[in-house]
Amino acid sequence: MLELDDLHRRFGDVAALDGMTFAVPPRTMFGFLGPNGAGKTTAMRAVLGVTSLDSGSIRFAGAPVDDRARRRFGYMPEERGLYPSMRVLDQLQYFGRLHDMDASAARRAGEDLCRRLGLSERLDAKVEELSLGNQQRVQLAAALVHDPELLVLDEPFSGLDPVGVDDLSQALAERAAEGATVVFSSHQLDLVEHLCEQVAIVDHGRLVATGSVSELAHGGVIRLAVRVAGDADGRWADALPAGARRRSVAADGTVVVELDDERDSDAVLDAARAAGRVEQFGAARRRLSEVFREAVRRDSPPAAVEELHAR
Amino acid sequence: MRRSWWTATGLVARREWNERIGARSYRITTVVLVAAVVLAVGIPALLSGSSKPHKVGVVGGAQGIATVRAAGAVIKQKVDPVPYASLAGAQRQLRAGHLSGVYVVGRRVLIKQAPASGTSSPALANAIAQLGAGGAHAAAIAQPLPVHGLERAAKPLPTRLTGMAVAILIYILVLTYGQRITSGVVEEKSSRVVEILLSSIRPAQLLIGKVLGIGATALVQVAALVAAFFIVASATGSNVLHGAAAGVVVIGALWMVLGYAMYCTMFAAAGSMVSRESDANNITFPVVIPLLVAYVLSFNVIFSASGPGFYKVLAYIPLTAPIASTVEYAIGGIGVLGVAISLVVSAALTAVLARVAAKIYENSILRTGARISLREALREV
Repeated sequence: MLELDDLHRRFGDVAALDGMTFAVPPRTMFGFLGPNGAGKTTAMRAVLGVTSLDSGSIRFAGAPVDDRARRRFGYMPEERGLYPSMRVLDQLQYFGRLHDMDASAARRAGEDLCRRLGLSERLDAKVEELSLGNQQRVQLAAALVHDPELLVLDEPFSGLDPVGVDDLSQALAERAAEGATVVFSSHQLDLVEHLCEQVAIVDHGRLVATGSVSELAHGGVIRLAVRVAGDADGRWADALPAGARRRSVAADGTVVVELDDERDSDAVLDAARAAGRVEQFGAARRRLSEVFREAVRRDSPPAAVEELHAR
Repeated sequence: MRRSWWTATGLVARREWNERIGARSYRITTVVLVAAVVLAVGIPALLSGSSKPHKVGVVGGAQGIATVRAAGAVIKQKVDPVPYASLAGAQRQLRAGHLSGVYVVGRRVLIKQAPASGTSSPALANAIAQLGAGGAHAAAIAQPLPVHGLERAAKPLPTRLTGMAVAILIYILVLTYGQRITSGVVEEKSSRVVEILLSSIRPAQLLIGKVLGIGATALVQVAALVAAFFIVASATGSNVLHGAAAGVVVIGALWMVLGYAMYCTMFAAAGSMVSRESDANNITFPVVIPLLVAYVLSFNVIFSASGPGFYKVLAYIPLTAPIASTVEYAIGGIGVLGVAISLVVSAALTAVLARVAAKIYENSILRTGARISLREALREV
């Protein structure tokens, strides 16, 4: 378990972290979300000890994080960086050794990773001689070489082509399956929804929502997606039973109804049936992108674009 | 697994060492500098020592000619005795530099310049003085004849020139290795690799490891130069070994090490304040100004009898001392004690500078974008 507890950090007049608090359960893929400037990078840097905190504490596996603990962490900063003129394997060995590995183990781990990432042919190449895609693979390898217990990646998917996204997703999922805790930030919310079990959404240096992706999609209110044949405007929902509210109407006439109590769903179904043939009736699951927009209090896009999932 | 602070620092140092020691530019500069020392020491020695015999004036008796020849045999150099009728005539020739010495038979030996205090007379003059004493009174205990200089003691030109050569080398080495540190820091900063490094080590470890690793390569180069100096000087029988020049070289080597130590952390701090390689030169210039001043003025001091009076003050001011102190010692302006005092003062300032520079470095190394002002770098925690 990685715990961030009441983190504060100011840069001049700007509070990058303003009481940020959340926990990452062990052995999960954890999405760290927030608009630009929300404090994600500062929080990750604080976990890695790259930025100091004004106040607050960070714990991992129950103990406060110190330099020794951090050497069991792997880090991929948003601004990628490697020694341009150092050879791939030498570089991986160096990073491994900085994380407490001995020389031969670090070299073996570097070779092994390169094989898995398809870099076996380029072990002796200088990083600057590699293609951009291969440089990104080496970057990932540099974060993984010491087999970290916690992997922190800042926008790891930005700038990757779709194949690169798939490769990285797979590599991260493998690590999580092997028992590592993987935390990454991303603006690609569909990807996060697909990959992560849990997320935290932050804004203005504070946590605004956290939980499992399904919990957040549920959002504490019951939602139904109902479509009645031939009613493209969702008119049938003008008169909903007590305890049910029309939330939105999609272009195809699907109405999203919010309920205070799931026992009211029968009444909604009755109302729909009374209006015509019910084409669709099911739980509406919010997309993570919608959850995100609501959480950070940015205006939701018009209902027409709102996407719905029948459970 | 526990590890000490020095483990990671050592890893950083070794990376710097490996990266630079194998570089072609390093091997080339080492060869060029060693060749420069070999030529500077070897050529004058070969020209003066072996090919041209020492001319020694002999006044007051033909038996003196045999003594001078015998003295030449003792020191294994060719010696050419020239009889003179009058002492005045011989002295004129000595002053003009046409003679290596004048032997006034049975009385004394004259040389052009009295030996500086703490150093011995030239080997040839000593040999004549020794043999001349025994020759005049065969039974007497060989109390050597006195050796007199026509002119007051002053550091002879070979010593001054050695001082200049060492000053140039100090300037080149501190500047070259300092800029190597700056560009290494800027490379880590501009390639952003520094953020990954600092997730497992402290900024001070990265800074110290870097200056130690690069410093080790500099030390190897200095050692090669000093070794080349002494090997070539003794192989060619150069007179630099007899005068104070050897002392200048040893003191110069000490100043090279301390000069590097003093400036290296400042070069690192300067590098941490910029984000692009192109800004690196602008920011290192203020750092080297004190050394540059001492360097530029040193030529005047070496070649004129006195030079600017305040130059001796620069020999005690830490940032100018590496060059000024070496040069002042070479011209006889300050002695070994003065150099020792200056070394201690500089060592103390080095520790202070390292602390300040480390703070600037820690505050600046992760900040990218615009150049950071010195005030910001010192203030932020």
